[in-house]
Amino acid sequence: MYGRAKDNKVVFALFIISKAGGLIYNREFHTGMSKLTSNDYLMLAGSFHGMHAITKQLCPAFPVPPPSTTAAGLAPSPFSSRPSGIEVLESSHFRIQCFQTLTGTKFLLFTEPQQPNIDTMMRKIYELYADFVMKNPFYTVEMPIRCEKFDRGLDGFVKVRS
Amino acid sequence: MVLYSFYIFDRHTECIYSRRWTPQAAATGGKIPRPVSSSSVTSNGEATTGRKGMSHSDDEKLIFGLVFSLRNMVQKLGGEDDTFLSYRTGEYKLHYYETPTRMKFVMLTDTKQNNLRPYLHQIWANLYVEYVVKNPLAPTEHPGGIGVANEMFERGLEAFITAVLPV
Repeated sequence: MYGRAKDNKVVFALFIISKAGGLIYNREFHTGMSKLTSNDYLMLAGSFHGMHAITKQLCPAFPVPPPSTTAAGLAPSPFSSRPSGIEVLESSHFRIQCFQTLTGTKFLLFTEPQQPNIDTMMRKIYELYADFVMKNPFYTVEMPIRCEKFDRGLDGFVKVRS
Repeated sequence: MVLYSFYIFDRHTECIYSRRWTPQAAATGGKIPRPVSSSSVTSNGEATTGRKGMSHSDDEKLIFGLVFSLRNMVQKLGGEDDTFLSYRTGEYKLHYYETPTRMKFVMLTDTKQNNLRPYLHQIWANLYVEYVVKNPLAPTEHPGGIGVANEMFERGLEAFITAVLPV
């Protein structure tokens, strides 16, 4: 873990978890995290899905909905005032950035603790996902992602940055 | 900064001390009318109304289960010497500190707070050890929180929080 202190722009891995809690994509870019079996990864994805839901429940102060949505006559926005689950998890060796799309798919990015600009990176990955996975006519939603262009796009993007 | 709550869990998974700074109404979320449409509930896979009727002890159990699983997940991914520090959602941040004896200190604050682990360590070392462990009248274990919430500890905690975590 400590040999790479000089280049701290390391992205370890990307997980994509479907809205049902199944792991549909898992890609390691850099060694550094423990080697686990694919079964373990599936289990981790499932339990993360559950923990994400619990963190929503624990919210001590609910977000106040913006005034425009509470005004009578306007259609209430279903997304504005719901508490979000885990967004960032920090540990001493790595950091997990979690991005949930409006449809409930979760993107988990494992990086070094000091990695900057994860938000833009996440946005770019979501873009790649939308372009190469969702627009792929042969891809069935909620199923494991096997799209070569997506793989290559990620490779190019992550390697160029680090 | 906003401090929401603080919990101590012993190694038997029991919550031996808890303290909240949130008003009751905000904690149950009953006052704020939140828009719910039937399609929005199913689209994300969870209902938004499950929160009502949850007691404080349910909260404690949920938090314990959560930090326990997160800790295990972190250790599985990062190796044995990796420790879980904190997580942040859009609304709050949870800070975590575990002593070598597996006591867990958990604090919920607003999202802008930096890592509070050093402070949680200080609470353990300067307050818990001083006023609870060294108290000859307190039992070694604290079933149901007996012996933890004594006057010295409460006052020390209050003073510590106002001193190091200015509002």
